[in-house]
Amino acid sequence: MPAAWRAAARRHEELFAALDPGARIALVARSAPTQALLWQMGEQGVEAEAVTVEGHAATRASIVLAADDEALAQVCAAVDGALFEVLRAGIRSGRIVCYMLQRRCVLEERGFDELLDALGFAFMGACR
Amino acid sequence: MQAGAAHLPHLFQPGRFGRYEIKNRIKYGACCVSNYNTRDGFITEREIARMKVIARTGCGIITNQGAYPDPLGEGKAYFRQVAIFDDKFLPQFERIAQDIKSQGAMAIQQILHAGRYGGIDIGYCIQPSDVPQTLPHFRPPKVMTTAEIRDCIRQHADAARRAIRAGFDGTEVTSFMGYLLANFNSRFTNQRTDEYGGSIENRGRFMRELIDGIKQATPEHPLVVRLNGAELMDRWGGNTEDECFELMRQAVEVGVDMISVTVGWQEAPESSIGRDIPPGYWNYLSERAKKMFPDTLITFGNRLPDPRMADDCVRDGLFDYWEVCRPLLADPELIHKAAEGRLDEVRRCIGSLNCLSRLFRDLPYTCTMNPALGHEVEPEYQVTPAAVKKKVMVIGAGPAGMECAITAARRGHDVTVFDKAPRIGGNLHAYAMNDLARPDDLLSVIRHYEVVARKLGITVRLNTEVHAKFMRSVLHEYDVCVVAAGAATDRSRMAHVEGAERMIDALDVAHGRTQVGARVVVVGGGKVGLTLAESLRKRDKATVTVIEADKRIAGDVKPSFKWRHASWVEELGIPCLTSTTLLKVSEAGVTVRNAKGVESFVEADSVVLAAGAAPAHALFHEFEWMVDELHGVGDALIPRGLEQAIQDGFRLGVRL
Repeated sequence: MPAAWRAAARRHEELFAALDPGARIALVARSAPTQALLWQMGEQGVEAEAVTVEGHAATRASIVLAADDEALAQVCAAVDGALFEVLRAGIRSGRIVCYMLQRRCVLEERGFDELLDALGFAFMGACR
Repeated sequence: MQAGAAHLPHLFQPGRFGRYEIKNRIKYGACCVSNYNTRDGFITEREIARMKVIARTGCGIITNQGAYPDPLGEGKAYFRQVAIFDDKFLPQFERIAQDIKSQGAMAIQQILHAGRYGGIDIGYCIQPSDVPQTLPHFRPPKVMTTAEIRDCIRQHADAARRAIRAGFDGTEVTSFMGYLLANFNSRFTNQRTDEYGGSIENRGRFMRELIDGIKQATPEHPLVVRLNGAELMDRWGGNTEDECFELMRQAVEVGVDMISVTVGWQEAPESSIGRDIPPGYWNYLSERAKKMFPDTLITFGNRLPDPRMADDCVRDGLFDYWEVCRPLLADPELIHKAAEGRLDEVRRCIGSLNCLSRLFRDLPYTCTMNPALGHEVEPEYQVTPAAVKKKVMVIGAGPAGMECAITAARRGHDVTVFDKAPRIGGNLHAYAMNDLARPDDLLSVIRHYEVVARKLGITVRLNTEVHAKFMRSVLHEYDVCVVAAGAATDRSRMAHVEGAERMIDALDVAHGRTQVGARVVVVGGGKVGLTLAESLRKRDKATVTVIEADKRIAGDVKPSFKWRHASWVEELGIPCLTSTTLLKVSEAGVTVRNAKGVESFVEADSVVLAAGAAPAHALFHEFEWMVDELHGVGDALIPRGLEQAIQDGFRLGVRL
């Protein structure tokens, strides 16, 4: 599974290119949040690994995507295809909760602009 | 009874709240903080001056904005929010309470602990559980211990006691919009396993203890609690509407005196108070609350800006008090105008949420419709009689020109407005006609100017273009000329594009002066281009593609409305080619180049230019030696938006 995720990230290189080394994005199941799949910016590009964590903060990710079981299945099925469309649709429908563990200014400094845009961040402005 | 009050008899009937007689059924709601105060929580003269205006709105109950109750600032959500954790803050609260009561209103002080939206200065926020926020504005969570929960309740009770000592008649605690109280109530954010979490009974324990603590601290004084009728967070595991009403039941059972029914959280993934929600949309929530709790006072006002609708709601038993805030920010005279039968003069809140957009940039809130808001303390913003009466000509009947004209007329100047179009409103009219949200809100701005201009005796000469020859014909007739002629589409920016002359002007399309074909390319993904693209797609069923040179669309759209355009273009299936440059326009379509240098062709019957605006600078040079004073306002100076146009017009009008 991590290999497929690494490949997916590299297919969408433009979204990850500006990320600071060490920047992380996590995907967890809402029903089993201790198992996380991490994208991490390494020296050779984006790496992916599966880890066991206690709580969202322990992922040391800037963004944690917590998907319900159905959405998680859809995301996994799309890993070789339209992954970001599926993630974005999941966030919009509420099946994936997108937790922001850092402030926007920090995310922008760390190069998350493109990724946030791909995740449909424009749909998430406060107080509507 | 005044003329209008007779037409709105239910709204203007007296009421009771505890031992207090209330002169009408209108409560000024503390809808958001002003950010006018000091960084360490003291109320400023700017705030006092604003509250003097609020105190004089005519409301029967007035709620002062939310103050955080804890010394660490864990409850502080906004950059310049007021504090009430110590007696040192009291002198200014006393002035506000006294002023509210001097106007015959009941004074309520809101206590606002922001929970997961708090801790703005301290690098963390406190919550019932470790549930990160879904927006990147906030601070990382720290889970409250049981001892901290009890301490927090004590701080709220102390804050309430302090507010009463300052002279307020009652207090209010708020869960709106996702603050600490809501965090405990919510299934989404409260995942505790102790007596404060789990079942809805346990989740409501914090609220019940909070209400009880405040009631014990201030037994003679009523308590209001603001609770969600709908959180709009249920998709993410938040409370359902049924659970929200069950929590209200708990509040009623522990003796809360009034429930303010609210809608939404800041993080909610859908609209609650924006311009795209029709007025009255959420009334069913207050109706349900009133039916469930007939013996508890209910106040409500989310997206209910019209006093006539509010009067019907009171008549029909949907709520006891109309809770109104933003409409009074837009027009502090709203209640008086309603009472005097002058509703046609009201400046409506158009729901642009400029106020909230600014708060999330840590700026003081301002209002698109009320340029004086936040400047009440400054004499320069007061409409005072002019020392010298002047004859003023205003060129352009858009928002900037009309705002300047009516402000100048209110000061006693003799004002004439000229416009080459057959109606007032300028490009706002065209924008409104293509708006998918609430065209009537935008058209209300124009109607307001029409009515007020007529009542002030302003001469409006339509179908009259002002140019050098015309100016020579009126030489020495006017003392002042205000250029408010707006901006035109800037074709010079596309002069290098082959076939650029084939492009149609977006303003011509928006005004209905030019028709487009079935396949349209809109060049420019800002608010003009997007609004037009959405309208052409939805109303004319055209196939539309937007081309935008920047990396993202909606660059000039307010933060609170960007998501709306992004959502619409996706729902309507409008491809937006960003980071894309226009190379050539031909009869069959356009050739473009993307960021990777790849060229492609988009078929189109019509190509609409909506990128770039050129201000009417030429008029300044032409008129320089023809009139004593020559000024400019709005897009004629720098093309921006409605808010800036109105602000510019007012600022010049009060100075002429």
